[in-house]
This record gives sequence, structure tokens and C-alpha cells, in this order.
Amino acid sequence: MAVAAASRPAAWPARIIRSRRTARFLFPLVVLAVWQLAFMFLETAVLPSPGKVLSFMWDEVRMDTLSRHTLYQSFAISLGRLIVGFLIALAIGLVIGLLMGLVRPIEYFLYDVVVVVLAVPSLVWALITGLLFGLGNNAPIVTVIGVGIPFVILNVLEGVKNSPKELFDMSRAFRVPRRRVVRHVLLPSLMPFFFAALRYGFANGWKGLVLAEVFASTNGAGWTIRYWYDAHRAQGVLGYALFFVLFALILERGVFERVSRYVFRWRPQAQLEVVEEAVPEAKLKVATVEAERMAADRGTG
Amino acid sequence: MADIRVEHLHKEFGTGVEKVVALDDVNLDVSGHVFVSVVGPSGCGKSTLLNVLTGIENPTRGKVEITHEGRDAFPGYVFQSPRLLPWRSVMDNLIFVHKDRSKETRERCRRYLGMVGLEDRGSKYPGELSGGMQQRVGIARAFSTEPDVLFMDEPFSHLDAITARSLRRELHDMWKATKKTVLFVTHDVGEAVELSNRIVVFAKGGTIKDDITVDLPFPRDPADQDVAIAKADVLRKFEELDLIAT
Ligand SMILES: Nc1ncnc2c1ncn2[C@@H]1O[C@H](COP(=O)(O)OP(=O)(O)O)[C@@H](O)[C@H]1O
Ligand SMILES: [Mg+2]
Repeated sequence: MAVAAASRPAAWPARIIRSRRTARFLFPLVVLAVWQLAFMFLETAVLPSPGKVLSFMWDEVRMDTLSRHTLYQSFAISLGRLIVGFLIALAIGLVIGLLMGLVRPIEYFLYDVVVVVLAVPSLVWALITGLLFGLGNNAPIVTVIGVGIPFVILNVLEGVKNSPKELFDMSRAFRVPRRRVVRHVLLPSLMPFFFAALRYGFANGWKGLVLAEVFASTNGAGWTIRYWYDAHRAQGVLGYALFFVLFALILERGVFERVSRYVFRWRPQAQLEVVEEAVPEAKLKVATVEAERMAADRGTG
Repeated sequence: MADIRVEHLHKEFGTGVEKVVALDDVNLDVSGHVFVSVVGPSGCGKSTLLNVLTGIENPTRGKVEITHEGRDAFPGYVFQSPRLLPWRSVMDNLIFVHKDRSKETRERCRRYLGMVGLEDRGSKYPGELSGGMQQRVGIARAFSTEPDVLFMDEPFSHLDAITARSLRRELHDMWKATKKTVLFVTHDVGEAVELSNRIVVFAKGGTIKDDITVDLPFPRDPADQDVAIAKADVLRKFEELDLIAT
């Protein structure tokens, strides 16, 4: 029967090649292979071999380092700054976002500003905060706040705008007490937007933080990569770059994905990825494009 | 059972040039164990009427009183879409609209889930059910509070004909068993004739144009000649009132 033939499970080699997991694991292997080939054929003094970088990373993991801070100290310092900065961004962004969502004039007044702030490159935040605060904790933390706030504001705003009026009306018709409505209707309806703010704000805040530490700090992961750069140790720079990637992966897969899968367990499987990310990201993209267009207008006009 | 008294009810949305009159001097008296349908073209204020009656919207002018033995009546509402909390289980969706989550409440919710044939779906999330099942959960939710009066806003209009038909039967049985006052909005004349004792006809602009008594024994089979004739009568009245767009 034709139908049965079409839906027959594929033979195992085909299944493994087609599986998403294989594709994911294949990518780093391809990168390593290309890198190794480049190293062998380019004969450059700058590009270190994968082996050299991996052995550097292994030393770092074992806390055998020339730097003033171990790998763990550096990342702990940076993570601490990221969390403090992002919590502040979350608190301020939540208030501003709620105000903008609930009061029309405030939205009109602030929207363009928020979009412009969103378009400020993290490099600019890092340099300006560095100039303002000098070396220390302040520049990196304020950079995280500056980079993170627009993401929080725009997502909270979007969440308020998408608040499920029909569910509030339903609660009202059945005379459900206000406290229960806040807890079981309002807060859950804001969750997808809260998570979008968390993911994008955290990821972008992290990028800004590393830059700020390169310029305006005497410790942290950003400072350490600068340390290896100044010491002309390419394996140190590349090794730390890979640590950054691993760190981001652990945060995303190990923390955000798990928590979000638990929080959104009520979603039908097929809907999962679409609903959770598509809405806020599309909106943020619109916002970014708009900001870029405005910047371009100002540049030419 | 409840007594619904509506006097000179006006409802307007917006102001100035954007003003929309949704209800214009509506007067209505409904009481006892009756099933009243509200029929009319879309946009004529049927949903607005239910929203004002249930307290979702405030009237612009006029008086609305829904009482049960002298006190404010407790309403139940079945919406056009299920309006379930997607993040709560079916059972929790029912419990959500109750005063407490005591054992009696749970027991009662389970019983009404059974009445709509979903006793074994209590632990599912709404997203795991079909549209028809979700609508049934909405119906069970409204009945489970054992309201004095039940408002229903085109509850079957999104469903396929077969599901709608079986739900109509269930609804009729539950109405008979629980002796409720029901106000049922629909734009389907056949459905109104099949279910109700009385049909209130609305026209564009939010005014009541006619009030028809349907005096046929239940249960009514739409294929029955008497029912078909009654339906044709109502449709003819619609034509006389110029309610049907040509
Ligand atoms: N919340 C609202 N804001 C503004 N206009 C509304 C609102 N609700 C309903 N209307 C308007 O009131 C009129 C009646 O609407 P509705 O009661 O939904 O009609 P029906 O249920 O009979 O289709 C329509 O013109 C509609 O656009
Ligand atoms: Mg309607």
C-alpha cells in the first residue's frame, strides 16, 4: 500500500543523518576539522592549532593559569554583575513597561526613546560607562542595565497589550475575586513575554558586559580575554571565546530551556516553539529595524 | 431560576463621531423556568446585552435587575469561544469560578464534567482537547456553579453541525433537569426554534423588533413538520421586519 510505504520508518543511517541532534553535534566537529585544515595549510603564526587551544582550555579548567584569576573566579565575577545588572533592568523595565502599557500618553512619550536606546550598540554603552565610571563594577553593571532595559520594557509593553481581555471578562462574569484573577490570569498571561525579556535581555546584556569588562574593569571574563590578548596568546583569546560559547549554551539549554519547558508545560507540543518566541522576537525585530531606519534618516538628513 | 427585568436600557460605545449605539431602549422581562432565545443579525447588540446583564459592561442609561428570591441572582455565562485558562487543567478551570476548592466543589465539578461526557478529561489541559470538547468544558463550567440564570452567546456557532446538534440535545436535557432560566443568543433561527419557549428578535441599532412565543412540545426534532413550519413562520416574520439582507 502506497500510504504505508510513505510512512515507513527510515533505515537507521538515514534516521541518524536526518535527526536534529546529529546535525547539532556535527556542526562543532565540522568547525574543528576546518580549523585544523586551515592551521595545517595556511602556515600562519597567528592561528593556533585546535590542540593547542584545547590544551589551554583544559589547563584553565584545572585552574592551572598564568592569569590573576582562575576561570571560575572570572566567570563568577561576570555572572554576578550580569545578575545584579539584569535584576535592576528588570525592576526598572517592569515599571516603565507597565506604565507605558497602561497609560497611552506615556507610551507615545517614551516609545521612540526606548527604540533608540535599543539600537545603541553595546560597544557604545561599554565605552561611555567606562568613561563615566572608570575601572570597577559600575561600568559593566550599568552597561547590562542599559542594554537590558529596552528588551524588558518592550516585552512587558507587549505583554500588557496582549493581556487576555476575554479571560478577564469571563472572570468578571463569574464573580471571581480579584486576587485570584491576578494570580491565575494576569501573571500566567505575562509569562511568555517575561521569558522573552529574560532570554534576549540576558543574552544581549552578557555581550555588553564582556565589552565593558574589556575596557573598564580589572577582573571578570571580559578582562581575562583582554589579558590574553595583551599577552599575545592567541590560544588564550580563542579558548576564552569558546568558554563564552559554552557558558551561553549552558545558560540557554541548561537553565532557560528547562525552566520554560516546565512553566509552559500546558502548551500543546506543536505550538511550543512558535508561540513562545515568535511573537516577542518578531516585535523586537520590528523595533530594531525601525530604530535602524531612524538612525539612518538622521545620518543622511 | 431568576427574574430578569430590563428597563429602557441604552448602551453606547465611544463618544462624538465614533459613537456606536449598541442597545437602544431595550425593555425585557424574563422569569421562571424558561428558555429564551435572542435572535438578530450580527452587530445588533446581542453580545452587548449579555455583557451588560452579567456585569462585564456598565449600561449607559436604564435599569437592569436580575434577582432570585429577592437577592441578586448569580449568573453563569457560556461564551462564543470557550474562554478557558490554557495554563490550568480542565478540572481547575471549573474550580476557578467557584467560591472554594472544597471536596463538595470538586465533586460537583466532576459531576458536571460527566454530564458533558468529559469525566475522564479533568486532568488534561484545554489545548489537548478538540474545539468541541473545549466548548463542552465551557458549558460544564457555567452549569457547575449552579447559577440562578444562564447566559449563552452563540455557544455552538464555531462547531461543526454534528457536534452542535448533539450539544443542543445535551443543553436541552440539562435545562430541563436543572430548571434554569436561560437567555440564549444565536443567529440561527432553526436552533432558536428547536430550543426555546420564546424568541426575542433584535434589529440593527439594538432595538427589540418582535417577541415570539413558540408553543411546541419538547424534544423538538428539526426534521419534524411542526418544527419546520414554526421555523418558516419565524423566518417569514424576519422578512416582514426586513431583517434579512438580500
Ligand atoms: N467594547 C466595544 N467597544 C466599542 N464598540 C463595541 C464594543 N462592543 C461592541 N461594540 C459595538 O456594538 C455593536 C454591537 O456589538 P455586539 O453586541 O457584539 O453585536 P452582536 O453580538 O449582535 O453581533 C457593534 O457595532 C459593535 O461594533
Ligand atoms: Mg456577538
